This record gives sequence, C-alpha cells and structure tokens, in this order.
Amino acid sequence: MVWYEVKKVFGRASGRAALVVLLGLIVFTCYFAMETIWVDENGVTQKGRVAVTQLKKAQKAWAGPLDEQTIRRVIEENLRIVSTPEYLSGDVRQNEIAYGWGQGIRPIRDLLNVSYTDDMQHYDYYLANRLDPGMAGDFYANRTRLLKEWLAEGGSGAGQFSEAEKDYLIRKYEALETPVYYDYMEGWNQALNYFSTLCMILAMILGFLTAGIFANEFQWKSDAIFFSSAYGRDRAVAAKLKAGWLIVTGIYFASSILYSLIILGWYGFDGAACPLQASRAGWKCFYNLTNGQLYVLTVLAGYLGCLFLSLLTMFVAAKSRSAVVAVMMPVLLVFLPSFVGNLDVRFVQKILSLLPDRLLQLNMAVRYFDLFTIGGKVVGAVPLLAALYAALTFLLFPAVYADYRRKEIL
Amino acid sequence: MELKLTDLTKQFKEMTAVDGVSCTMESGVYGLLGVNGAGKTTLMRMLCTLITPTSGQIAWDGRDIFSMGEEYRRILGYLPQEFGFYPDFTVEDYLLYVASIKGLRPATARKRAGFLLKQVGLLKAKDQKMKKLSGGMKRRAGIAQAMLNDPRILILDEPTAGLDPTERIRFRNLISELSEDRIVLLSTHIVSDIEYIAGEILLMKDGRIVRQGTAEQLISSMPERVWSLTVTKAEAERCMRRYKVANMKTVHDGVELRILSETPPAVGSKSMGNGKEACRPVPEPATLEDVFLHYFGERTGEDHGLV
Repeated sequence: MVWYEVKKVFGRASGRAALVVLLGLIVFTCYFAMETIWVDENGVTQKGRVAVTQLKKAQKAWAGPLDEQTIRRVIEENLRIVSTPEYLSGDVRQNEIAYGWGQGIRPIRDLLNVSYTDDMQHYDYYLANRLDPGMAGDFYANRTRLLKEWLAEGGSGAGQFSEAEKDYLIRKYEALETPVYYDYMEGWNQALNYFSTLCMILAMILGFLTAGIFANEFQWKSDAIFFSSAYGRDRAVAAKLKAGWLIVTGIYFASSILYSLIILGWYGFDGAACPLQASRAGWKCFYNLTNGQLYVLTVLAGYLGCLFLSLLTMFVAAKSRSAVVAVMMPVLLVFLPSFVGNLDVRFVQKILSLLPDRLLQLNMAVRYFDLFTIGGKVVGAVPLLAALYAALTFLLFPAVYADYRRKEIL
Repeated sequence: MELKLTDLTKQFKEMTAVDGVSCTMESGVYGLLGVNGAGKTTLMRMLCTLITPTSGQIAWDGRDIFSMGEEYRRILGYLPQEFGFYPDFTVEDYLLYVASIKGLRPATARKRAGFLLKQVGLLKAKDQKMKKLSGGMKRRAGIAQAMLNDPRILILDEPTAGLDPTERIRFRNLISELSEDRIVLLSTHIVSDIEYIAGEILLMKDGRIVRQGTAEQLISSMPERVWSLTVTKAEAERCMRRYKVANMKTVHDGVELRILSETPPAVGSKSMGNGKEACRPVPEPATLEDVFLHYFGERTGEDHGLV
C-alpha cells in the first residue's frame, strides 16, 4: 500500500517535475554557496578551487586557541598591514595587495570589531585599525560587559527582558568557555548560511508533493472505491501517512546530505569543533554550541519544520479535499512572517519567534535574543520551538488519520 | 447470505434522499430502477458504508454493517457511478493497488488480477495507463476491481451509463457471468439492462421503493394496459396530453402510438387525410419499459411525455 501511495505521487509528471526542480535549485544554491574569492600577492582576484585552497591555507595558519597572545598578534598584524604603503596608497591594485595580506586574519579581525565596539548593536569595520595590542586582554571580557551595558538601565535592550531573562543571558554569556578554539571554518559558515534557503525550497516542494496524498482520491473521484475497501478506513489511511512521512524524510535527508557533501566537500570539514562565538556571526549568540553541533541541530530542526509543514498540508488537504488549498499552507507559514516581521511590537515578535519558519532557519534563530519564561524558568526560543513543533507534529499524525478515516462520500 | 434494510432513511438538510426503505436481499441479481434523483446512489452509498444513515439499519446476516466495519467491507465490491481511478497507474498497477487496500496478499492479488483481466478482456491492455483506456475499457477495469476480493455483495451503480451498445451488451453478459452465488445490486435507469439480467427488480421513486418483484410480476401488477394505434399528427398531440405514451413513431400514413391506459384510448374516427381513417386501438403485451412509464412517466401536459 505504501509503495503505491508513493507511486501515486511520483507517477504524475508534476511529481517528477518537482524532483527535477528541486535538484536544479540545490545545484543553484550550491553554486552561490561555493563562490569564494582569493586575492593573490599581485592583487589579482582568484576564484574557484585555487581560491578555496589559498584561503584555507592562510586561515589555517591562525588555527588554535584564541587566547590573549593570539589576539595581540592579530591586532599587531592588522596594524602592520594598515600602515603599509600598499594599504595607504590611492591605487586600487595596491589596496588589493594589502587586502590580500589580511585574508588569513580576516575572521579574527571581524571579531575584534564586534568585541571592542562601544555598543553591541554597532559595527565599525575600521575599528580594528584603531586598536592597541595592549587591549588584547579585554577581548572576552568585552563581550559580557557590552551585554550588561545593553541590558542595563538606559541600554536599548533594557526594556525588552525581565530581570530573570537578563540574568539568564548574562549567565549564558559567562558560561562560554574561553579561550575559544579558532580554525578555518568557511565550509560550516557557508553551509549554515545557505541551509535556510535549501530548507525553504524543500518545505515548498515537499508541501507540493504531499498535498495530493490526502486530496487526490477526491479529485480523481476514486474516493468511493477507496473508502469502501476493507482497509479504506484504517490501514490504507495509515499507509498514506507513512508514504507522506517517507517522502518527506527521504527527500529531505537526501537533499540535505547532498547539499552538505557538496559544500563541505568543496570547502573542507575543518572547524566543526569551533564554537559559534569564534566567528563574527555567532559572537553575540547566547547558545554555547560548536559549528558541528549547530549544523546537526539546523538539519534536524529543518527536518522537523518540513515534516510539520507537510503534515499540516496533508491535514488541510484531508479537511478541504483540495490539494490547491492545502499547498498554500507552507507558502503562507514560511513567507507571511517575512511580511509582518518588520512590525516592532514585542508581542508580535514573540509570536513570530515561535512560527515554524524559524525551524527552517535555525542558524538565524540562534542569533536572536528570543526568550520565554515558563513557570518561572527562562528558556530560549530554540528549545521551545523544538519541543512545541515536535509535539504538534506528533499530534498531527493522529489528527490527519482520524479526520480522513471518517470521511463521508456523498 | 442475507442483506436486510430496515426503515432506512437518509436526510440531507431539508431533502430526504432515501425515505424509510425496507427490503431483504438474498443471493441473486437485483435491479434498482428509477429516474435520476430517485435516491439510488444514496442508497447504494449507504450499502457501501460511504454514508451513514440518518435512521434505520442495514444488516448483513443479522449484524449491523457499520459495526462490522472492515469485516463487512471485505465481502463488498463496489463500482460507483462516477468511476474514478488513478490516471497514471497502469491497469495492472491499479488492480494490484485496489487489491492491497482490499486486504489481498500480494501473491493472491497477482493471481486474482490476472484472472480478472482475462475475464474482462483487458489482458492485452494491462500495461496501458488507465487514462489511455476507452470508456468501455475503464468500466471493465472498474468491474474487475470490484470483483478482486470475490465479494459476496457486488454493488454496481449505473455500470452501463455512457457505453455504446456493443460495450453495453458485453458488460451485461459479464455481470451475468459474475452474479453466481452472490448478491448483485445493479442500479440503472436503462430498463433493458435490468430486464436482461436482474432476477428481482426494485422500483425506486422519491427515495422510496414503490414496487418490488420479478419483471413478470411487475408487468402483471400494472393496472394499466398497453394499446397501439395509428392516428393523425393532430390526434397524436391530443393523445400525448391525455395518456402516457410509451412510444411514438412517424409512419407514412400518420403516427403510430403505444399508449398506457386502463381502457382503450378514446380516439375520434377522423380522416387521416389520405383517404384512410384512424385505426382502432389494439391491445399489446406490456413490457418492463411500460411498467417504468407507468410508475415514473407523466403525461406531456404535466411534465415529461415519453420514455
């Protein structure tokens, strides 16, 4: 039964076309994610494999614990570069040569800009050029200090959190083990950055594929034969659910594994054990995770999101008896938050932080200071999202089953 | 083997589709005859557990079919009026899929599908996609799926609708072949289909069974007699308003009518315009079509004129 349900989906030209489109979009996403540049000693921009190899070699040279000594060396190296005639020249080619020298320290230089700023919400690209090597010891202390200033009376974050939530954030910041281990991590950065795009594509395609599972019988008028058959109100309905689950699971993991292997195969797997805070994008993050851990969580959250949206699509299809209505569900739930996301109302933002689109972009969700206080306990939005949608997904299976098996065919 | 309907009623808001139907069916072919909207499909869908009755009961060997659930559906075969299928499945895949949801084991399903494909003459078309089949072939695939589980109860809703005469005859013969040792309930508004294959006929009108019996019993129970006569065109129009006219045929010297009436139709002895006079009504043996007209037909003056 399950086999035939899967066959119903992929027997149609539209089902097969959806797979071709998905494959095309994966290739397209990978193409963008694999775009790297390397500026050589002559100031000439290199692309492709050469660029990746050179960048990796240059950044690997700085791999190790990001302690006071390393920070000092990076500040010194940066100051050396910015004082060279090439950097100060008005000639673009000379500037490019100077830029090329700084490619190895660039990720750490970016960290200096976010660590030594006066306001944690402010970013100044040239700040690193004004630092003194003697300031290296403040590198980690600045992170917590800036958070405390932001949360303190007069800080722009003061009114956004309860005292318990502020305390929670500070404790999380203080819990970061320092010095963090730094390594070349371009592969993980790029794979994480583009994973949300892949997830949204997958949510749409999987919604499209699964919408028909519980609507086609009505559309094709084969409902009467289906429901009057021996298993039409139990096992055949369960087979539809199993087929939906198999399609979502199979396509999701095949796509994400393919994507991961292409991106990480291109850039290398280095940097999996580095904490998120070892890169500028994760510096402010209060979740203390490594790149590898976040990647696994992002993939699993994306799966949960896609499975939830597909089950919701199947539920709407069973209720409405229409695949067209059902296929709108993932589109609405994924794209609607983008339209209302600009509303700067705390209540709206709280709700938005719990919508399923956040599951599809967990790499972004971990960077938001979304907190909830439940029974006096403060929790981040990420574990709450996981628990909430795991429960809803778990409930949707019996809900779809119960609704579909009771259908009357008038 | 007994399928018993007791005071079965189905109401949709203000409309009563099936109104207190009671009858008992045992092995044999039953023809459910009625005009469109008489409630045939609703009755059949209740028998297939697709709709729950508003009141009343359907019992198989004394047990309520809705309580039996899967056990009842195992002995049921159904060919709906709007026979839907999976357009991208081949005929063989379609039968194997239906066999799986009917609870047949894969090996049994293959054997049974092969046997039925041969019986309905679709063996050569087994690898064709369902959407590529002709109307008659689709119907034959439909009867094959209904027979997969060798059902004790076979319900066929308008199985010959839309078929050309050759396919209809072929289909009727097929149903006759398959009717042994089971209850076959066949609904149609095509009288000849019922006449050929049904042992017992149920006449359904406005949600009720208005008459039940064999074709002979129904014919003999009809209070009206059948008359044939040839009249002028003007007289024919008058007859259509006054009587139920079962047939009307234009001939070279006027119009030949087949009229249902308890007494000989009163036709004026008028000139036909060709020197001849309208002939006297001649009594004719009644057919099932005449019975159909008697119960479902109305005079032109009221609504419909002919069947």
